[in-house]
Amino acid sequence: MRLHVNLSPNWLLDAEMREYPTDEPVDFCIVGTGAGGGVLAQRLARYGFSVVCLEAGQWMDSEDDMVSDESGARPLYWNDLRITGGNEPLQLGANNSGKTVGGSTVHYAAFCPRLHPSDFRLRTLDGVADDWPMSYGDLEPYYEAMEREYPVVGPSPFPWGQPHGYPYAPLQSGTAGHVLIRGCMELGIPVVPGGPIGITSGTFGKRPHCIFRGFCLQGCKVGSKHSTLVSHLPDAIDHGTEIRAGCLAFDVPVGHDGRVTGVRYYRTIRDGHDQEEQQRARFVVVAGYAIETPRLLLNSRSARFPDGLANSSGLVGRRLMAQAGQVVWGRFDGMIRQYKAPPACAETEEFYETDPRNDFVRGYAIQSVSPLPIAMAHMINEESPTFGWELRHSMEEYNHYGAIGVLGEILPDERNYVSIADATDQYGIPVAYAHFNLFENDKRLIRAGVRRSLEILEAAGAAEVHYVDRYAHLAGTCCMGTDPSTSVVDQYCRSWDVPNLFICDGSVMVTQGAANPALTISAIAARTADHIRDAAARRDL
Amino acid sequence: MNPHPENLTVSPREIAAPAIERPIVVYAGYNVMNQQDHWDEATRQLILRRIHDVPPIRFFSPAEAQTLTALVERVLPQGDRPPDRRIPIVPWIDDRCFRRIIDGWRFDNMPAEDEAWRLGLRGVDQAAQAHFRRPFVDLTDDQQDVVVRLIADGSPPGAAWQYLPAQRFWIYVVLRQVCSIYYAHPISWDEIGFGGPAYPRGYSALNHGYPEPWEVREVRLDETSR
Repeated sequence: MRLHVNLSPNWLLDAEMREYPTDEPVDFCIVGTGAGGGVLAQRLARYGFSVVCLEAGQWMDSEDDMVSDESGARPLYWNDLRITGGNEPLQLGANNSGKTVGGSTVHYAAFCPRLHPSDFRLRTLDGVADDWPMSYGDLEPYYEAMEREYPVVGPSPFPWGQPHGYPYAPLQSGTAGHVLIRGCMELGIPVVPGGPIGITSGTFGKRPHCIFRGFCLQGCKVGSKHSTLVSHLPDAIDHGTEIRAGCLAFDVPVGHDGRVTGVRYYRTIRDGHDQEEQQRARFVVVAGYAIETPRLLLNSRSARFPDGLANSSGLVGRRLMAQAGQVVWGRFDGMIRQYKAPPACAETEEFYETDPRNDFVRGYAIQSVSPLPIAMAHMINEESPTFGWELRHSMEEYNHYGAIGVLGEILPDERNYVSIADATDQYGIPVAYAHFNLFENDKRLIRAGVRRSLEILEAAGAAEVHYVDRYAHLAGTCCMGTDPSTSVVDQYCRSWDVPNLFICDGSVMVTQGAANPALTISAIAARTADHIRDAAARRDL
Repeated sequence: MNPHPENLTVSPREIAAPAIERPIVVYAGYNVMNQQDHWDEATRQLILRRIHDVPPIRFFSPAEAQTLTALVERVLPQGDRPPDRRIPIVPWIDDRCFRRIIDGWRFDNMPAEDEAWRLGLRGVDQAAQAHFRRPFVDLTDDQQDVVVRLIADGSPPGAAWQYLPAQRFWIYVVLRQVCSIYYAHPISWDEIGFGGPAYPRGYSALNHGYPEPWEVREVRLDETSR
């Protein structure tokens, strides 16, 4: 089919996209086109495999479909029903998942830090969670590759984790970013401006550099902010991948031999009209992120797999993780005008690692946030549910607010989970229920992170300070490991139970540190692709 | 109210009591719609539709719409502006309910959003009747605020609240939806000095909170009251 999609003002993707018949098996059918599925598709297509990606969302043309407007960004988000519960129910929807070609990378803020080497060894170092089945060194070359391909801009050298530097120059910060920088400088806390973020500071191919319009979370009309829509999917299409948009997967059927045979999905033909189809495939990859992935697997019940696909460990959906994302804001006498420049522009990882002086293990980063007016109002609503003129006056101060955010590690726990709810979606498919609690280490870590953030704001000159609880970056619901009884996939994302099924998204992460997950998810996908290529060459796939 | 973590030094929220019933910050002469020639067409059309294509009431009954109108006026009062400068809110709430638009999630102890509105409006009247022996719309502004505070505090009288957690309804349905609609409208952007759509022009005054040449500096009317 002919694609005709603007990806930036300079880049019309006007290309013939290959189409595969549904009844002949393709090599790989990938569910999802985000940080995991998008990169995996591009790699596998380059290695010569035939690839069909099923994407629940639609193509978003940067000129016609994306808008410079907070509430108008709604079509980018996963707005279908999910149920949320537990002591700290997660707010799902906009903040935590996308439904468009490119997945949530289309509307993420694009902070792209790496994990630290210690993140892969929590059991060994801190006696909590589990060690990863791979080391930092295993992933390092893939981090380097992704930082060039996204690309990631930032300081060089970078002062935390394994020593490294970023290949492209840091991006300018706005006044809002300077709040974090100034506060840290006053307190003697190392802080870096201008990265690591996936926003180009110079022209990158057909992608112009950032124009500081500040609508990163609403989709980048400029095409300077990374998403797999602009970084990897065009190349995947060039190499023969079909991106089949508007296709919601609901079942991964299994044959008599215990291998999956393809994916069943509902395809939107036009608004409000859907038809059921099935793509046959030699291998299936589920890359729908930490809620939709376990939902699809748990809904794929069969006589052979009565508890859901790939779930002999009982761990599909278990160990749901989020990251603590408490937002702390202050009112400054001077003007901030926080809507200018990307919200992601400065951070400190000074408190990332376990510190024996703390009453908790692991740590947190502190990053710039800069909410637009509606998001700001919601923060005020939740912190103190005032109304009337008091609420209007609070929002009149919008241009005086500067906001920073904790990004804190929350440890995996089997009592946090995704399961299947009684409610169904518009197709009649049972929806996901997400259950989330904080435990003692999490609470202590968050308390310390909020306290530190408030100190930073006060040092930066805030006259009054506030905070709200937030959680972002879901992970962990199909964790990888070395033992089939305590993990869902191996280190190459292959299901222990079903040899031709892979899971390749944030759900495989064993822990997620205090680093935004997109880059790590893409690095894992690139490593998985190399493994698949090598195994196929050995006829061992 | 979000309890601050223990041992934090937090300056108390500065509350002028009673609240001054007029703006305390003004961006005099600022009208973000004057910038629309600098916006991309998709965004411009979206904003123009938001201003001009206000949907009819199709979900709420006339009585429900009346109660909701009174409630919304307590959440974000607009009596300081002439009628043609007031942001329509009730029609957009009705539109969400009528078209069953949701934001991708609900709490496990909450009904669907359209049901929550209906139940909540019944609860607002039940609380008004229990406290003042009159329906909500017949109360004075101050009496209505008393009812609203009962709901915001989480345990208002009324049978409806047995099925609807009042605090969650207040924060995640009422405040959230009213603010989402109000702060999506260009009139509110004029009020808070928000630059609005910024493509393809972008922003260039990035430092020291400076305005762009087309933006306006704030004037504070509260210097004597602070």
